[in-house]
Amino acid sequence: MSWFIKTFQTSIGKKLIMAVTGLSFICFLMAHLAGNLILYGGENAFNSYAERLHAFGPIITIVELGLLFLIIMHVLIGSVLFYQNTLARPIRYKVYKSAGGRSLGSATMPYSGFIILAFVVFHLINFHFADKTGTTIFQIVAKAFENPLYVVIYIAAMIVLAIHISHAFWSLFQTTGINHPKYTPIIKITGIVISLVFGVGFGFLPVYVLLI
Amino acid sequence: MQLDAKIPGGPLTEKWDKYHFDMKLVSPANKKKLDIIVIGTGLAGASASATLAELGYNIKSFCLQDSPRRAHSIAAQGGINAAKNYSNDGDSIWRLFYDTIKGGDFRSREANVYRLAQISNNIIDHCVAQGVPFARDYGGLLANRSFGGAQVSRTFYSRGQTGQQLLLGAYGGLMRQVADGKIKMFPRREILDFVLVNNKARGIVVRNLITGKIETHAADAIVLGAGGYINTFFLSTNAMTSNVTAAFRAYEKGACFANPCFTQIHPTCIPVHGTHQSKLTLMSESLRNDGRVWVPKTPGDKRSLNQIPESERDYYLENRYPAFGNLVPRDVASRNAKMQCDMGKGVGKTGLAVCLDFDDAIKRDGKDVIRKKYGNLFQMYEKITGDNPYESPMMIYPAAHYAMGGLWVDYNLMSTIPGLFVIGEANFSDHGANRLGASALMQGLGDGYFILPYTIGGYLAGTSMQKVTADDPEFKDAAKKSESRINSLLSINGKRTVDDFHKELGSILWEHCGMSRNNEKLLRAQNLIRELREEFWKNVIVPGSGKEFNQSLERAGRVADFLEFGELIVIDALARKESCGSHFNEAYQTEENEAKRNDKDFCHVAAWEFAGENKEPVFHKEPLAFENVELSQRSYK
Amino acid sequence: MISTTDKKNINLTLKIWRQKGPDNKGNLETYHANDISTDMSFLEMIDVINERLTLEGKDPVAFDHDCREGICGMCGAMINGRAHGPEKGTTLCQLHMRHFADGDTIVIEPWRSRAFKIIKDLAVDRSPLDKIIQAGGYISVNAGQAPDANAIPIPQETAETAMDAAECIGCGACVASCPNASAMLFVGARISHLALLPQGKPEAAKRVQVMINEMDELLFGNCSNHRECEAECPKEISITNIARLNREFIKSGFF
Repeated sequence: MSWFIKTFQTSIGKKLIMAVTGLSFICFLMAHLAGNLILYGGENAFNSYAERLHAFGPIITIVELGLLFLIIMHVLIGSVLFYQNTLARPIRYKVYKSAGGRSLGSATMPYSGFIILAFVVFHLINFHFADKTGTTIFQIVAKAFENPLYVVIYIAAMIVLAIHISHAFWSLFQTTGINHPKYTPIIKITGIVISLVFGVGFGFLPVYVLLI
Repeated sequence: MQLDAKIPGGPLTEKWDKYHFDMKLVSPANKKKLDIIVIGTGLAGASASATLAELGYNIKSFCLQDSPRRAHSIAAQGGINAAKNYSNDGDSIWRLFYDTIKGGDFRSREANVYRLAQISNNIIDHCVAQGVPFARDYGGLLANRSFGGAQVSRTFYSRGQTGQQLLLGAYGGLMRQVADGKIKMFPRREILDFVLVNNKARGIVVRNLITGKIETHAADAIVLGAGGYINTFFLSTNAMTSNVTAAFRAYEKGACFANPCFTQIHPTCIPVHGTHQSKLTLMSESLRNDGRVWVPKTPGDKRSLNQIPESERDYYLENRYPAFGNLVPRDVASRNAKMQCDMGKGVGKTGLAVCLDFDDAIKRDGKDVIRKKYGNLFQMYEKITGDNPYESPMMIYPAAHYAMGGLWVDYNLMSTIPGLFVIGEANFSDHGANRLGASALMQGLGDGYFILPYTIGGYLAGTSMQKVTADDPEFKDAAKKSESRINSLLSINGKRTVDDFHKELGSILWEHCGMSRNNEKLLRAQNLIRELREEFWKNVIVPGSGKEFNQSLERAGRVADFLEFGELIVIDALARKESCGSHFNEAYQTEENEAKRNDKDFCHVAAWEFAGENKEPVFHKEPLAFENVELSQRSYK
Repeated sequence: MISTTDKKNINLTLKIWRQKGPDNKGNLETYHANDISTDMSFLEMIDVINERLTLEGKDPVAFDHDCREGICGMCGAMINGRAHGPEKGTTLCQLHMRHFADGDTIVIEPWRSRAFKIIKDLAVDRSPLDKIIQAGGYISVNAGQAPDANAIPIPQETAETAMDAAECIGCGACVASCPNASAMLFVGARISHLALLPQGKPEAAKRVQVMINEMDELLFGNCSNHRECEAECPKEISITNIARLNREFIKSGFF
């Protein structure tokens, strides 16, 4: 196993972990978004979706624990990379300008990452660990979004998420070695589309809930 | 001193093989005990270091730059010749040999040049194995182009960066041996002196350019591959740090200097733009394959170039040399450009430029084909001049480029100091009075990969060595001497900068000892250089101290040597009472203004021995015997 | 940008990083460069300043340079926050003053990275790049071992792609411009060049491992795919070479 650990200790190895865990989050978010969109079907549809989901029982718990592990990996290794990158240039330039390579997404990756982490904790406290006795998941959601502050926080977080993914998606392909003049432009556009879908898809829900 | 070139007997084609066999070998066990110092990490130095280390010797390798990968070989653009005959156009070892001898105007050694042609093929093989990405045809086999006046396509190339790719190959080999511990690399070191013990070269004194510390190093043999001296002209195509210091120190210690007046002026360079210009940029001569050289027919024509109609353009090379046209050898092309400008037909702001026009080529082949061939060169031209060569003709002018002369070496590449070997541009051996395009890379790598590694073994096997260390008194004395020279440079505290002196030296040489020379100008140059040298030691200002990173001090040391050496160029030019190749003395020309050799009196190598400061050097003659080629008047008509 | 036909001279204010040695403190000092010909290169402009400083008995600005034709990789500095200055695909020595306007202020700083120590003023120690090559950035072949050069055909496209990567001049602009001071483009270029060619394949797996380990040990930063390196590289080397490096690494690490 030493080769395995050694490989992941290198800079590329660490980045590979970021890429793979990141990809799994994107997959998770797709499923999550698909579920959430059921909200538009009304209260009953959403509650029955929630019930059916919980009927999976232990499988859900395993998936949750898996996700938790991936989050810890992504956050810890991301933090190590961020720390190392800060150390790599101890004296900074007095004047530093981009030559056009950096994007809003790439320049803010660690910061958007930490914001998303904070949001995930907030989100879990709100809904996942909320007291569900004598109420439905729809009611919890509707109640939360009666508070305009919550709406603002959720929308802001989704914008940050979209920015994070706008760089993350094509970047994970690059890190895993997938860069080709024919396909990379498609990958880049797909990344933007995905980040928009997540941003709008998740971001509009609180507004919708507030409106109904 | 009696010069002995040690050229082996027997037929030309068998000399090297026979010599190989006769040479004494050093046993593998003994190689481990022998130390060799290699100075310079260009094509010659890096390839020699790598190959000697592969053989098992312990190498100490020195370079001036921060990394061995930056030696000026990296700037060679066009390509490297080899007699592979992949183009099936009638090339052969013999033809490459003959072209090189003829191109050099019959002033090089037959045996050396033939050997070079023989090993040229091994060089290509080795470079490909190292991963040099040479240009290839659609079938995946190596592509060739015709270059620099050759009538066969024998030049291998990597875009316009052949020197870079070959050097990175050699650098890779060098780095591999550094990792193996067989080479110890010393970057940012300047050679200040050589140490001789029992008349053998046994060590060097260097300055660590970062700390200023003077260091001494001992070895059993020394290889000098520090490049050429063309920066004596200040404005040249060489890198800013290219210098003659190491070679000149060797000369002062007893190594003869051969043919210093053979200085190549390259015809296709970007013209000088102003007084602050620091160097000149070469445009690969491959441009002459498709570009047509012309000047306006009427002197003083100040119209913009595109407005001069076809009928008023003088395509002087095509008119004078119908067979070779724009592809005449470098010396001929350069001299003709100067002649046209001297007649007042030059173009551009200064009138010191001729046109290199791609209009016809673009009309014939289309812009895309031309872009594919020369795109990077056109881009470079536009970057520097701000003009677009796709739309108006390029302007070019000759510039000092390469030194055919160098330290005298025998067939083993050993100088007149036993144990001091000289390779690459630093020696004089293979190019005679004029070097052909794409031959410098061949010679540098040939010396380093395939000649020196054998011949140095012959020396080491046949010589008994006494033990020396870098702390011996000879070393301490030499270090002290070097230090005191540095101190005297720092203490002058005059009123003129180092560059100012260098520029003046350059213009003296360019005016009096450049493309066209005559006795009167040469005598004047000699006096001017002496006066300038005297003033230098009274009036130069070198800021800072010797104990730090001090680039002014570095330059001061080099310019002090250029000032000495410049005079040697002139002395040699004066002594060679003929015209040949790059050395054109107006007193010796044919009726058609071509160089007129005097084979009766000057078919020799002029080797100069140092006689002491401010004393005329001692002349030695190595007669050149031509047994296999007939000496003919070069004709490119 | 000034049009190329306009050859008037310009006046500039320069703020140059001055630092006596690796352990000294440095600071930006202001100099006036007057009557600068727009035909001059950037380094020739600094030459002019240095000549003046020398005559004034002051210490001239130390900066590395050699070939002055954009191939040796010796020169380089941050010009107004941009590696080798604002022009695309250009080394500092090939940057000409016609790209600046009269009255401009130009801030000149050395390459900054933990791996590159400052020697003096604008001169930095880039020997870590050599160390990465030493680790394995070559093909192991001794002189004399090679087969005929045409023994192994290499498709033209492959040779050209290898050449695209091989053009790297080792100047360090990728490290200097990378927000993380990463050397991945430098390593990627060398790995790509050698891995593409059949001659380089036998050692490809070992090569990528040792070079990446060396790069990490020398404390270069990690690549975040910012693409600043590609945008600033004077030879315009593409980050597809970094992707190929990643591929080679994955191949060597897992297969």
